[in-house]
Amino acid sequence: MPKHIVSGLNYLAAINLRKEGYLQKEIAEALGMDRSTVSHYINGRNISWDSIEIAEVLSKLCPEDFLKITYTLTKDTTKTRIIIKTLKDFNFRPKVKDSCIGCGLCVDTCLMGAVELNNLKAQIDSNWCCGCRMCESRCPTNSIEILEVEETEGL
Amino acid sequence: MVANEKATENKNISIKREAAEKRELCFEDEACIGCGICEQICPVDAIELGPMGAIVRGELDASKINIDESKCVLCGMCSVGCPVEAIDFTIDGKPISEIEEYPRLIRSISPEAENCVYCGACDIACPQGAIRVMRELPERAKLVTGEIEVDKDACISCGMCEDMCPADAIYLEENIPTSSNPEIATDIVIDKDKCVYCGICKRICPEDAIKVICKACPYGEYEIEEAEVKGDLVVDEDLCINCGWCQEICPKDVFEVEKPFEGELIINEDACQGCETCIDVCPCNVLSFPESSESGQIASKIQKDEKYCIYCGACQNVCATNAITVKRTGVNITPTKSKAWKKAVDSLKFSDEKAGSSSSGAAKAKSEGK
Repeated sequence: MPKHIVSGLNYLAAINLRKEGYLQKEIAEALGMDRSTVSHYINGRNISWDSIEIAEVLSKLCPEDFLKITYTLTKDTTKTRIIIKTLKDFNFRPKVKDSCIGCGLCVDTCLMGAVELNNLKAQIDSNWCCGCRMCESRCPTNSIEILEVEETEGL
Repeated sequence: MVANEKATENKNISIKREAAEKRELCFEDEACIGCGICEQICPVDAIELGPMGAIVRGELDASKINIDESKCVLCGMCSVGCPVEAIDFTIDGKPISEIEEYPRLIRSISPEAENCVYCGACDIACPQGAIRVMRELPERAKLVTGEIEVDKDACISCGMCEDMCPADAIYLEENIPTSSNPEIATDIVIDKDKCVYCGICKRICPEDAIKVICKACPYGEYEIEEAEVKGDLVVDEDLCINCGWCQEICPKDVFEVEKPFEGELIINEDACQGCETCIDVCPCNVLSFPESSESGQIASKIQKDEKYCIYCGACQNVCATNAITVKRTGVNITPTKSKAWKKAVDSLKFSDEKAGSSSSGAAKAKSEGK
């Protein structure tokens, strides 16, 4: 069953990536799938429509739940990152305050690999930020603020 | 969720977190001077300074600090603030003292070994045993010149020369007289490596059997080679805490010491009850009680010589009567681009509002983050 949900997520991600203009080969590599499967998905042939329905429901959950469930299903950070980034509905503008001490807990917490340290301060890549806010809650100095934004403008 | 792993061995503590990078903190109890700067700078209140008074007096056998691994976020501030490198902090195996982004306390000891005459004053004065002076003296015989001769026929083996010789250079081979050998000594030997040609033997000899000439007197010292003392001055920088005792006591200005902190040490003599705990804890031998003038007389209040102070604050922490204030006014540290780190470093400086509370600096930094 979990495998079916993963294929549902893969299906949705593959369709979205195709819409974004990626080639089948690139999609297959990014999601760790066969090219033929990607081709099937893109041509509307899928295993089970129930799985896709569940995947769709998952992608509408709050970002933290969506992320944690996806990671638990795939057990793979690379795949998780791609699926979440492709399927997330909102954009986020992460802000790191000067009170950041550069402890790196956010780096270790972020499943999206969106955080790195620069001059003892966290730097969050808004392209990868999924808005789960786990870094925000883990931050010992309350230095992170994740804001939901309408469009990508100004990022 | 990535959690910290804590390990304790003897009184040493290590905490690590392995995820995107491997961060590891190692506390070495032996090196710790109990100043409490780590407790003060920790942004998450994870460090607690132990009861230093009881520890330095040997009443309690415990680690000087405790680190709560559930609170520690492995930021490295304690390591940067520690003036004696008792807390090592590495990221992926590299010490943060070698990572440019992290500030580093500026402290050093630079000995100009070529000026050293191996007097050994620094070795004796260093409160941390960080300096060793080893010396090799020239042979005494090379610093004197002369001649000595015993007329063994005239010698009556009285042994007065042996008793008087200040250099222990004369030796009588004693003998119990028998009918076959009715002598009280079989020989008199002069050790020319020891003799300094002082002439005392000649003057004491009742029989004028000894002839001594010291050539240095009539002819000057041209025949004597210059005394050369060889030696080695070894400074263990890991043990050195930059107190400056060597710099002050050295007659040859061999040492140059850079101290990590600047400040003022203020003692309220009226408040001091003379418990001496501050003297026990001070790593720099800054504090002392003067010798009492006569027995039964209570020595006057505690004395200080601030020349040796590194303003670590250990004495202030242990003083039960708040008689000591360490006003740290400057921190010599390399620059950092991080505002939070700048603020943390500044929190080590004395300010009136946090006077009397050692942990309020960290608490303040935290509340500002919110």
